[in-house]
Amino acid sequence: MQFGIFSVGDVTPDPTTGREPSEHERIKAMVAIALKAEEVGLDVFATGEHHNPPFVPSSPTTMLGYIAARTEKLVLSTSTTLITTNDPVKIAEDFAMLQHLADGRVDLMMGRGNTGPVYPWFGQDIRQGINLAVENYALLHRLWREDVVTWEGKFRTPLQSFTATPRPLDGVAPFVWHGSIRSPEIAEQAAYYGDGFFHNNIFWPADHTKKMVELYRERYAHYGHGTAEQAIVGLGGQVFMRPNSQDAVREFRPYFDNAPVYGHGPSLEDFTEQTPLTVGSPQQVIEKTLAFREYAGDYQRQLFLMDHAGLPLKTVLEQLDLLGEQVVPVLREEFAKNRPADVPDAPTHAARVAAAKEEVTAV
Amino acid sequence: MKLVVVSAGLSVPSSTRLLADRLAAATAGRAPGTVDLRVVELRDLAVEIAHNFTNGFPGRALSAAIDDVTSADGLIVVTPVFSASYSGLFKSFFDVLDKDALAGKPVLIAATGGTGRHSLVLEHALRPLFAYLRAVVVPTGVYAASEDWGAEGLADRVERAAGELASLMAALSGPSLSDFPASAQAPAATSAPAQAAPEAAVPAQGVSETAVPVQPVARRADGFHVVPFEEQLAALRV
Repeated sequence: MQFGIFSVGDVTPDPTTGREPSEHERIKAMVAIALKAEEVGLDVFATGEHHNPPFVPSSPTTMLGYIAARTEKLVLSTSTTLITTNDPVKIAEDFAMLQHLADGRVDLMMGRGNTGPVYPWFGQDIRQGINLAVENYALLHRLWREDVVTWEGKFRTPLQSFTATPRPLDGVAPFVWHGSIRSPEIAEQAAYYGDGFFHNNIFWPADHTKKMVELYRERYAHYGHGTAEQAIVGLGGQVFMRPNSQDAVREFRPYFDNAPVYGHGPSLEDFTEQTPLTVGSPQQVIEKTLAFREYAGDYQRQLFLMDHAGLPLKTVLEQLDLLGEQVVPVLREEFAKNRPADVPDAPTHAARVAAAKEEVTAV
Repeated sequence: MKLVVVSAGLSVPSSTRLLADRLAAATAGRAPGTVDLRVVELRDLAVEIAHNFTNGFPGRALSAAIDDVTSADGLIVVTPVFSASYSGLFKSFFDVLDKDALAGKPVLIAATGGTGRHSLVLEHALRPLFAYLRAVVVPTGVYAASEDWGAEGLADRVERAAGELASLMAALSGPSLSDFPASAQAPAATSAPAQAAPEAAVPAQGVSETAVPVQPVARRADGFHVVPFEEQLAALRV
């Protein structure tokens, strides 16, 4: 099982001091956070993609390429890559290039984005959101698997004998996750291709996440990729820790109360009770995270949201120390217990290359 | 049969709740079989409704109320008139419901106000709202101004509206026709008008017992509508 962090990349003033980092500071902070993730033994760093303030990460492969050069083991991913408004040809090329530079430490998560206005900025129509996700991904899927593609669709100009370059590293496409909070169409899409399904699992009660994951697992089996238990599931999570849980609550409350999305709404207590958010001691984080398995089944990837709502970099780095030293080692050990042998590990480039070779030999 | 009352009255006691109770009692007396009556007081849910807007999901009490309303065989909805329309709280509750939650459901609309000059609020505000939600709104809406409580006529309107609601509940209860594939609609369609056609031997409640048992295809137990991916692709000819 893989553990990591995912960042939205928001520039939010620290509500306790009123200080707002510059875009430059925030971008550098995201890199520092990624490097720290590797240092403390986490497996994955994923960045969001946004094209409007107050967010900075508009160009994920640029950032991930830079991080790739400064890390050895970390898997670089996205949360999410906009399959609706990016040209699938450019996604195919950008991520194949990143795959080569990072020696295969790359996967990505498809998403539709969280803001309607982004569609016209890239010449697209929001009413076609799901259809764009379907058609663009169908093309992207072929561009990574077929050397020469002739293609015609509804939303972009046709391709005649086109070859996306560079070809994927070792001839194996980056692994793809499909992220969705509430769209069954996306769970269906992930299942159809035998790709991973990631539920952000942050803002909504667990029973909703459970329903979406169950749908994906059922349809994964329906399409013959394996049993429902073998489907590739990723979950988000959100934590804030201090050795003493009262300290964690006291320190995090102003960030929670003013956070984008849920700030100025429910109380911290209600939200921690009703959603996967944990604010407390590392032990409480361990207990709550282990319980995810009860509703999502044995899964492959757990990403935590650690750097948002104006938390200063120093605090985030301290949080990553706690996560890497006290939480993740226990989670690795506990999640491995009673895990059925036929539940696959999280996909890696090496494993996918080996599987592709085996397939060729078998044929 | 499950009858759910949604009352948006704010004071205790409230004339809105009083009207709601009168309508509920009259409907329960006319509906066939035993009636399971639930009352949703929106005043108690006001904070959770507001949080639903900021969080995107309902709290526990609101969630239970939404389940009650969604699973009801009939609804009685009563709002006080504020600024020439339904109250903001009343509208907010229906804003957080799933857009299909009331589709095909019989709904009796009612309102209270300080003066009879607002009585058409039922026609220009409530009826369009529930038409949008694809509910089956009973023809008689009941408006009670302060003066109506001491005058003749209110009781007659209550009885007439309740009778209409009870009839619609009897006729429309059971699985909705839209849940079934076209081929399975024939048996349900022939026995459904039992009430309107007295020569039919089976009472209206018998519909679900005599109809050929067919699993609904469109709606899954988890509430998701799943379009097989091949169909998505085919629609785009990818």
